[in-house]
Amino acid sequence: MKEFLLRLSIGRPRLVYLLTFLLVLVTGALMPRIHIDTDPENMLPVDQADRVFHNQVEEWFGLHDAIVVGVVNDGPDGVYTAETLAALHRVSRAILELDGVIRPDLMSLAEADNITQEGPGVLRFEWMMRDAPGTTAQAERIRDAVARLPLVEDTLVSGDGKAAAVYVPIERKDLSYAISREIEALVAEESAAGDWHITGLPVAEDTFGKEMFVQMGISAPLAGLMIFLLMWVFFRNLRLIISPMIVAMGTVIATMGLLIGMGFTVHIMSSMIPIFLMPIAVVDSIHILSEFADHYRQGDDPGKVMKKVVGHLFKPMLFTSLTSAAGFASLLLTPIPPVKVFGAFVAFGILLAFLLTIVFIPAWVVRSSPKSLASLDRLREGADADSALARMLRGVGRFAFSRSGLITTATIIIVAISVAGVLRIQINDNPVRWFKDSHRIRVADAVLNEHFAGTYDAFFVLTHEDPQAWGDFRRAADEALGGAVPPAIAGLLADAPATGELDARLGAIIAMADDLSFDTDDPLLAERLEALMRVAETAQVDARYFQRPEALARIEALQQALADTGLVGKTNALPDVVKVVNRELRSGDDGDYRIPATVPAVAQTLLQYQSSHRPQDLWHMVTPDFTRTAVWLQLTSGDNQDMTRVIEAVDEWLAANPLPENVQGRWAGKTYINVVWQGEMVAGMLDSLMGAFVVVFIMMVLLFRSIPWGIVAMMPLTFTIIGVYGFIGWIGKYYDMPIAVLSSLTLGLSVDFAIHFIQRSRELYRERGSFEAMATAMFEEPARAITRNAIVIALGFTPLFLAPLMPYVTVGGFMASIMVLSGAATLLLLPAVIALGRRVLFRNIKTQGVESHAH
Amino acid sequence: MHTDKGRFIALVALTAALLVPGALAAQGTLDADTIVEKANLAAYYAGADGRSEARMRIIDGQGREQRRQFTVLRRNVEEAGDQQFLVVFSQPSDVRGTTFLVHKHTAGDDDRWLYLPGLDLVKRIAAGDKRTSFVGSHYYYEDVSGRRPDEDTHELVGSEDGMFELVHRPRDPSSVEFAEYTTWIDQETFLPMKIEYRNSTGKPIRRVEVKNVETIQGNPTVTASRISDLESGGYTDMQFRYIAYDLGMPEDLFGERSLRSPASEWLQRPEGR
Repeated sequence: MKEFLLRLSIGRPRLVYLLTFLLVLVTGALMPRIHIDTDPENMLPVDQADRVFHNQVEEWFGLHDAIVVGVVNDGPDGVYTAETLAALHRVSRAILELDGVIRPDLMSLAEADNITQEGPGVLRFEWMMRDAPGTTAQAERIRDAVARLPLVEDTLVSGDGKAAAVYVPIERKDLSYAISREIEALVAEESAAGDWHITGLPVAEDTFGKEMFVQMGISAPLAGLMIFLLMWVFFRNLRLIISPMIVAMGTVIATMGLLIGMGFTVHIMSSMIPIFLMPIAVVDSIHILSEFADHYRQGDDPGKVMKKVVGHLFKPMLFTSLTSAAGFASLLLTPIPPVKVFGAFVAFGILLAFLLTIVFIPAWVVRSSPKSLASLDRLREGADADSALARMLRGVGRFAFSRSGLITTATIIIVAISVAGVLRIQINDNPVRWFKDSHRIRVADAVLNEHFAGTYDAFFVLTHEDPQAWGDFRRAADEALGGAVPPAIAGLLADAPATGELDARLGAIIAMADDLSFDTDDPLLAERLEALMRVAETAQVDARYFQRPEALARIEALQQALADTGLVGKTNALPDVVKVVNRELRSGDDGDYRIPATVPAVAQTLLQYQSSHRPQDLWHMVTPDFTRTAVWLQLTSGDNQDMTRVIEAVDEWLAANPLPENVQGRWAGKTYINVVWQGEMVAGMLDSLMGAFVVVFIMMVLLFRSIPWGIVAMMPLTFTIIGVYGFIGWIGKYYDMPIAVLSSLTLGLSVDFAIHFIQRSRELYRERGSFEAMATAMFEEPARAITRNAIVIALGFTPLFLAPLMPYVTVGGFMASIMVLSGAATLLLLPAVIALGRRVLFRNIKTQGVESHAH
Repeated sequence: MHTDKGRFIALVALTAALLVPGALAAQGTLDADTIVEKANLAAYYAGADGRSEARMRIIDGQGREQRRQFTVLRRNVEEAGDQQFLVVFSQPSDVRGTTFLVHKHTAGDDDRWLYLPGLDLVKRIAAGDKRTSFVGSHYYYEDVSGRRPDEDTHELVGSEDGMFELVHRPRDPSSVEFAEYTTWIDQETFLPMKIEYRNSTGKPIRRVEVKNVETIQGNPTVTASRISDLESGGYTDMQFRYIAYDLGMPEDLFGERSLRSPASEWLQRPEGR
């Protein structure tokens, strides 16, 4: 294969150009079909059980993603001034006019309903703030009303009265950026009323998507430019260094084009593919150019020199590419679809980059004029071989080969410290944290969560399902009818209703029995139908489980337990509705803020709640058949750690207070979903990393045909991974999704240097015939190529520090750390270990002493 | 006394109904206000009093169903004027016996009471917004008792297919959730057969449709209708059965004391209908 590729690249450079051009053209043409996906839900497969349940819960309770708009007034009256409330009213009304807003479910003071006492024995139902208040007295009345409504307080107005919120449910998540922009324009005109903030997960996600897209267009090319400038510093040959850039761009375009063309969405992970591929694609080219620069003399046939260089590098380059690809392909072992896509396409990109490097770089060099190559000669004779870098590396080499004891001791100490750091790693994620602290979304998030009970949602959903209910009813029905089932009703009694349809079926039976009993002239049948109605009514009331006072009391206890943990900003659930309406129906006194004692009392209380302007609000808490109810938790933090603590607290409470028979509790909500995929990711990444480690080790053993060399080759990457994650543990940075995925990059990149170093040292040992000669030669061109590579990649990614999105900043920081650590490990630890183990390692390597005379 | 007056009005109404074809001849001269007046009478004032049993199926945007069943007793205090309503729930069984009493006044606010047997509680409901949901359905209280014609301005915009088409605009736009609505009124019966409410952008948000009309004791009577919330996709089907007019309901049937135990004879279904 090597021969074929070389014949092609050196013999038919124009054909190579054409093929490369066609590849880029065809794949590039697919790119406009790009579809961005920023929904963290997609971190889980569509059929993942928690995700399926979460979506079911959204449907059962009519829940929608909501943009949260907040206004803060730090004055003495907070938002309860005529001016701020009027502004809130105007904004709320204007938002209702926006396309894509689910109008009936918008929540704000201007759309809230109120139930109050108007004198003894008189009840008043009215809008809380139908019209904007004109006076302070009116504003104060609203303040007093809010204080009496636990579902409103701390949700629509903060507990301290300094902030008010509008929850804007939207039809589709991908509208949230556009709608939030429109809202921004609306609140810009109301800046006199207070400080406005806009946040909410859909805005964060959609904004992230938009900025991610921008970053793909800015960060990746900027990184490319930086790499280009660094290569200029090293090679001083414009024509030559354009070629790695073409290889890198070609690889990126072909990979992304293929990904998009195959119908995959561009997720936060896949948006970083260009940034990952850029350095990897350039690395091989630098090795080739570096060695070509060292071997080329003016007047040489560039084709011949190139053949020698590539012949030399083909094997290590192939293996570094294969191992890097294996590292990324191991991400296929994770259960997270976007990470799988990312891993698969980076692996593909790496192999493509190898192929392009092997055919395109030689073709490019062969097509270069002797004049343009002449500068390489000067470079080699002048600056490079005698540069500060070269001198320094020789020193490093002498130190590394001679002070192996010191280096291994230091390594052991560093590894020990790092392992302690790894054990301190805090696993945590929160998509809002993907923005920098100063980003307006982070600011809004911080401000609103400081004032309110929380803008992060989780739901604990209770379901009652009695498998005996239908059977029991059927027996009672047969008894009531005395065995004579009227044909009109037989169909309704025939088969058991599907889950969630028992209530409707019983309602239909009651209505039918009612009609038949009136129409019949047979008094016995009328009596039997009456009896059937009674048993159906009983079954219906029994099935409406969450209308029972004892069921509500249990939910109330759970809410209290959650409040006692201090982890939850606030909970909202059916008992709150029942208690408020009960209080106002009876007296308005706090003593009546309680759950009434009987089922009819609860049912009639709720019938009154439904006689409001917003009857549908009830169904956000319970399904119309009262078999499912949701406790809505408002959390001030979307951090997975915080959500996990809440889950543990509920588990503990449930252990002490088990749910009754036939009742089950289960979590849903975005904040919970984030915990689920993170859990899967942590476990998955560990599998993937171990898998990749084993595969790479086997490849190393095969490459070097030696188990000891295989072990040595694994050392730099082991050291780097432990070092990088130990560092993360010590500085307290959270182990989040980007950090997790970077382990495969670490693996792939740090093994590269080791392969090159070992391959070249074995070759040089064979050529030069002695360990000492090899040690000296290794710290000439081979060490320089590795160092150049490390510096180019580390510095090439510094533009990422300027990105407004944290995952990009993280990648930038990681690249630099990986390069520093794996470069150091390769140039210090490897020589030290090789020196220590020289007897074992070089036992089977025969010196040739023939080729060494060629130079 | 009232009963006599009621009978007299019933007689007048019956005569008017018989004369409908004659009225049609003069339709060209009818102005919008007159049509609305007649429609108001046809829809809410048939007979001197009336009973009917209503059955509601409330379907939400997801197709989930709730049912309600109640008896409505109505008595006209004066023709086209004040009225009294008693609404007694029978289904679902957990709200059985829940009762609403409304004294509707053409001048001034209505009086409303509520009885909840489960809480053993009678409450007065303060005059306020009448555009709240009627027991969780898509009907508003105002749809049940009727919107006062003088709360809107009326414009006759068309007269096709046996229907008057009128556009109505609220005199106080801030008191309602719609910007305007159109009614299609049957030229023969003067029953509004379709009503469509629109918001400020002109988008239809709510629709009332009459599905069936029967003539009962000479009164064209709506026996099935549907009201749709065009924003949520939910709707409520209402069916009226066991209707009877001019039963001679006594005034004390609509007194506050009747709330706790309305005389059962008025709640029973009339035989043979």
